[in-house]
Amino acid sequence: MLKVEELSRRYDSLLALDRVSLEVRPGEILGLLGANGAGKSTLLRTAAGLQPPDAGRIEVAGADVWREPIEAKRRLGYAPEEPTFYEEISAAEYLAFLAAIRGLEPAAAAARAHELFRSLGLVDRVDEPVHRFSHGMRKKLSFAAALLHHPPVLLCDEAIEGFDAAAALAAKQVLRERAADGCAVLFSSHVTETIERLCDRVVILHRGRVARTLARADWGGRDSGLSPLEQEFLGILAAAAPPAPA
Amino acid sequence: MSPPMFPRTPAAAAFRSLERVLVRRRLLGVDLRLRLELLALAGLLGGFLFWQARIPLDGLLRMRGEGAVAAAVLATLLAMAALGGLIAGSRHAVRLRRGPPGPPWLALPLPPELLGRHLAFDSSAPALALVVPAAGVLLGAAGLAPAWWLAGCALAFAVSLAAAVGLGCAIAFRTAAAAVPSRPALHPLTRVLATAARRARSARLPAPRWRGGPVWLTLWRKDLLLSWRPTPARQRALPPIVLAPLAALVWWLPLEIPVARLLAFALALLAAATFAEWLIALAGCDPFAVLRTLPVGVGAVWGARMASAAAGVALLLAGQAAGARALDPQPHALFLVWTGAATLAIATLGANYGVTTYPHHDQAQRLLGLSLGVAMAASIMIPLLGWVLLLTAVLHSLRRLPRWTALEAS
Repeated sequence: MLKVEELSRRYDSLLALDRVSLEVRPGEILGLLGANGAGKSTLLRTAAGLQPPDAGRIEVAGADVWREPIEAKRRLGYAPEEPTFYEEISAAEYLAFLAAIRGLEPAAAAARAHELFRSLGLVDRVDEPVHRFSHGMRKKLSFAAALLHHPPVLLCDEAIEGFDAAAALAAKQVLRERAADGCAVLFSSHVTETIERLCDRVVILHRGRVARTLARADWGGRDSGLSPLEQEFLGILAAAAPPAPA
Repeated sequence: MSPPMFPRTPAAAAFRSLERVLVRRRLLGVDLRLRLELLALAGLLGGFLFWQARIPLDGLLRMRGEGAVAAAVLATLLAMAALGGLIAGSRHAVRLRRGPPGPPWLALPLPPELLGRHLAFDSSAPALALVVPAAGVLLGAAGLAPAWWLAGCALAFAVSLAAAVGLGCAIAFRTAAAAVPSRPALHPLTRVLATAARRARSARLPAPRWRGGPVWLTLWRKDLLLSWRPTPARQRALPPIVLAPLAALVWWLPLEIPVARLLAFALALLAAATFAEWLIALAGCDPFAVLRTLPVGVGAVWGARMASAAAGVALLLAGQAAGARALDPQPHALFLVWTGAATLAIATLGANYGVTTYPHHDQAQRLLGLSLGVAMAASIMIPLLGWVLLLTAVLHSLRRLPRWTALEAS
């Protein structure tokens, strides 16, 4: 579904990516681990079409990102590490704009946006201009924007760092559901515990190269369920939640 | 407008220093081109009022003498001062309601009276713009009344403007204070600012309309929305909105037709140049990481900007067509074709530069200024050479449009 072949990218004298190859299969969540400067964000930015590679190619659901950019970007969702927005429009206006650009059916897109806002805890703030949002809220909005069109390929660059606990749990659940629907997810994070829990395989990048690829069985096979702390936290939230309307 | 009277305390000195720095920064913050545009606008407005005042004042002189002229000038200037008070007061009211700009004022150990004076000073700045029309009216009366009478009128204007501005801000503050819940322990300004902060946190925009349509149309709607909201594009939208009607109004001035035609044409070109700057500012409003990860091609982006360019040129031409009716049919048509071609070329150049230098809109603004400056200089040196250069720049920038796909943020 997402194929990266012999990808290289240089910033002046720094070789940020050196012939990186990897593949994310349909229904798989592939973790991307690496130290600061290992090349994770460069890989994701290049795959998202933000900067051209010096060599190699990236294919998103059969479309080359740099030869057929419009087709590839139709099939791609990207949640960057530091999201940017039209600051003076509201979160709802932003998603309405994205939905129109992506040619989504208006009523279905509005319903999908509401569902995403609700699950991420943004539903009370959707009519506020984005410049009033905190860092965590901006990342939530970026995450919702990446998922709005049910993309078959999803790129997450430390996308859920900065979320509050409830939203992080909801986001992980959404990612699992997307993967269960056949979406290929490339998930970059500094938090190894999140990757351990969420991902099916992990690629470790080191100085721009693939240092190692691990399968779930290689790191002890912890299941993707909730930790005791998460279970306790969810229990408290459930007990405190108002009853659902009839 | 006189500076507010501060008591001699360290905080008062700090505010005086802050206000000096703010004034200097705001003046220096306006780039040279915009400063020249503002000067040109001020000159045009002053000139327009000069002509509008001169003829009736001359008639008044003939019928009732110098005293009547001075009285009319004084009454006009006092009305302008009152307008200044209204402008400052309404701006102060809005700022107190929304929360004034600056640091979180309530977190600072400041006497509320000092802070109140500073906020009023900051709200009053736009009222100073009334000096321009006042100067136009005073110049229009020059020679029609004794100079010392007119000097007295100018002094009365300065004093009454300062008084009106102070009164306007005081009324705005009292109204704002009356609108928030009473807490005897708190100074009214503290209550007003605390309420504004709560409002600012919960400011809401209208719910969006979820709709489909072609990509270029969605981008065009987004451009209009961004021009409506407080963005750099909105600031850039103002000069063409003022200049285009002025270019049409020139035809109603008591001028010889060749002079009116030249002035209208020059103003239309200036309007088109500022319109092109707006198109570039719109490109600067598009976050790179948003636009480039969407399934949007250069055709849609350029199409949206050209839709704005075509609509703007059409409106400008409609004004000229209505204004230039005094011309015979053939010169009228020729004038419209000539003006339309020139303004469309300038607007297209702005749209092209915004797209081909994306996301570096500052480079695009410089390129536009350079291209238009060179074309104008060439036109002055050799007739029609400027048009050749302008069209060459348009064609060259059109050929570079496909670069958009491979542009990078850095």
